[in-house]
Amino acid sequence: MGDGRANNPNSHSNNSSSNKPEWLEQYDVIGKIGEGTYGLVFLAKVKSNRSKPIAIKKFKQSKDGDGVSPTAIREIMLLREISHENVVKLANVHINHADMSLYLAFDYAEHDLYEIIRHHRDKVNQAINPYTVKSLLWQLLNGLNYLHSNWIVHRDLKPSNILVMGDGEEQGVVKIADFGLARIYQAPLKPLSENGVVVTIWYRAPELLLGAKHYTSAVDMWAVGCIFAELLTLKPLFQGQEVKGTPNPFQLDQLDKIFKVLGHPTQEKWPMLVNLPHWQSDLQHIQGHKYETAGLHSVVHLSHKNPAYELLSQMLEYDPRKRLTAAQALEHDYFRMEPLPGCNALVPPQPGEKVVNYPTRPVDTSTDIVGTISLQPSQPVSSGNSVSGGNPGRNGWRNKSWQHSDAARCCTASSSTAADKKERIRNGDDWIPSTTEIEALLSFLI
Amino acid sequence: MAANFWTSSHCKQLLDPEEVDVVHPLDKERGFNLEDFKLIKLHMSNYIAKLAQHVKVRQRVVATAITYMRRVYVRKSMTEYDPRLVAPTCLYLASKAEECTVQARLLVFYIKKLYSDEKYRFEIKEILEMEMKILEALNYYLVVFHPYRALSPLLQDAGMNDATQLTWGLVNDTYKMDLILIHPPHLIALACLYIASVQKDKENTAWFEELRVDMNVVKNIAMEILDFYDSHKLITEDRVNAAMSKLPK
Repeated sequence: MGDGRANNPNSHSNNSSSNKPEWLEQYDVIGKIGEGTYGLVFLAKVKSNRSKPIAIKKFKQSKDGDGVSPTAIREIMLLREISHENVVKLANVHINHADMSLYLAFDYAEHDLYEIIRHHRDKVNQAINPYTVKSLLWQLLNGLNYLHSNWIVHRDLKPSNILVMGDGEEQGVVKIADFGLARIYQAPLKPLSENGVVVTIWYRAPELLLGAKHYTSAVDMWAVGCIFAELLTLKPLFQGQEVKGTPNPFQLDQLDKIFKVLGHPTQEKWPMLVNLPHWQSDLQHIQGHKYETAGLHSVVHLSHKNPAYELLSQMLEYDPRKRLTAAQALEHDYFRMEPLPGCNALVPPQPGEKVVNYPTRPVDTSTDIVGTISLQPSQPVSSGNSVSGGNPGRNGWRNKSWQHSDAARCCTASSSTAADKKERIRNGDDWIPSTTEIEALLSFLI
Repeated sequence: MAANFWTSSHCKQLLDPEEVDVVHPLDKERGFNLEDFKLIKLHMSNYIAKLAQHVKVRQRVVATAITYMRRVYVRKSMTEYDPRLVAPTCLYLASKAEECTVQARLLVFYIKKLYSDEKYRFEIKEILEMEMKILEALNYYLVVFHPYRALSPLLQDAGMNDATQLTWGLVNDTYKMDLILIHPPHLIALACLYIASVQKDKENTAWFEELRVDMNVVKNIAMEILDFYDSHKLITEDRVNAAMSKLPK
């Protein structure tokens, strides 16, 4: 990952003939394809690899004194551990030491669900083929199941973060992207909700809207339910008006939109409901208003008995504990009925089916990545021309055979020393456990 | 992966002791031997822990920071990567990775408070530049597993809740060595538990035998820890200073 050649800030200043950093030489940058709060995304082709397309995400330079943004750190941290066909692949990380900017290079995906839905709604004016809907959903769940079984919550699933590969070997394969808000939720040091805004409100789960502090992978499943409905109807299911403000204001309109479709949540169906902060504090608005009974089936134009409806309604279960998990959803009857989901969501296996040609991503060729990079080297901290380390991980510990020929020797040797040491420990005179920090540390830990 | 040690980058990166105990050629030129190398890493582990107490981060962050620091020196020389800058920067990076970001200026403030020695003083900018170099040196692998997670359930299962403090302390001390680069964290936890049961005169042989782990490895780790305590008594400030004096000014 990364490349040693770009490590030395001096190499840029010495190389006055070139106006771009060395790592960038391996790419032909086509232009800008995206922009967000995190920074910019560029489309590039790898020169050495048959012009393989790559998306380069440039993180905004941090403000003074902040260093690499924690969002970037966590995204890199997670992506370096993740490997799954339905999760975006981090191809490389680049650092431009001169202006302290950071770049993530991903395998490029031509499409995303936002654009696919928009194309059907605004351009061709027809529903997405049922095979495509089912295949997209299955692959999304498959990627999510992988993340959840590894204790990663994405927290920001929305159509624009669900990518779909264009022409090529992986055509029609779903890739979950944008892990800037994702978290490992096994042992957070702080309640996850303290880390700022989560999930675009249209896809935000009701427990979050009601102020839940501890939430789980179920928030991602709610978002998948909303996306599923949007794939069916081409319209966002719950289009609430976002209340702006800090931090995390109460989103009454979003809840109103949800209640109108799904009916009022009740304590019988969702026992923890009464403990949620906003449910308790905002009696007048959300408890006072009476909503009609559920009308989800009419919104998505499916009968109650349709397996697609059944699956959808189980994903949109109010109680996060009862909400379907990704693993359960993958087992649902919906996926066992014709048309069966496939690997290429865009091209149905049956010949004769019409294939929709989705437009390619617009590329703004007027924004040059080089223009966004400063080549003014800062004072190098120390020269970076050390021997680059090889891969230290060539043998994991499991390859170390403790059962091999000298195990016996090892065993006798150690047990005799062990006896010695045990004796010394029992005598208690030459072993002082270090307890200086224990108390202070325990106070932190509990 | 994030929750499964066996498929994690941490597991794949575990090293043989011979791969860890390597003095970089540039450091050799300056007169560093393996003993100096280990002493400085020990000194820096203590430095990180001290600094962490001031900026109030938890032990997991300290452990991650020390692991980063030790990983850096498997690949990089102390001559080029000044440990006095690497150590606080590792704490800075670990605080972000563990989701409790500490501001660089706060670190700079406490560094000044802890050390009057000019050689420990760094500007915020230098920490930020070193952060990127460390990210690169770590090859962007940031998830670290620690023995702490396994500890409570193991203590419970072994009926050794009364040894919690002792065992925690032992685990803390393992970060003064390179064990975290070499052994899976649950085996380090078991080795500490093993020492604690010997110390507390608790007969646990049957319990250990029921575990599906190689007790030879556990005992060897325990031996290393005990050897470390033996040698630790002989470490004086003079020896640390002598080793530190070999660093470039």
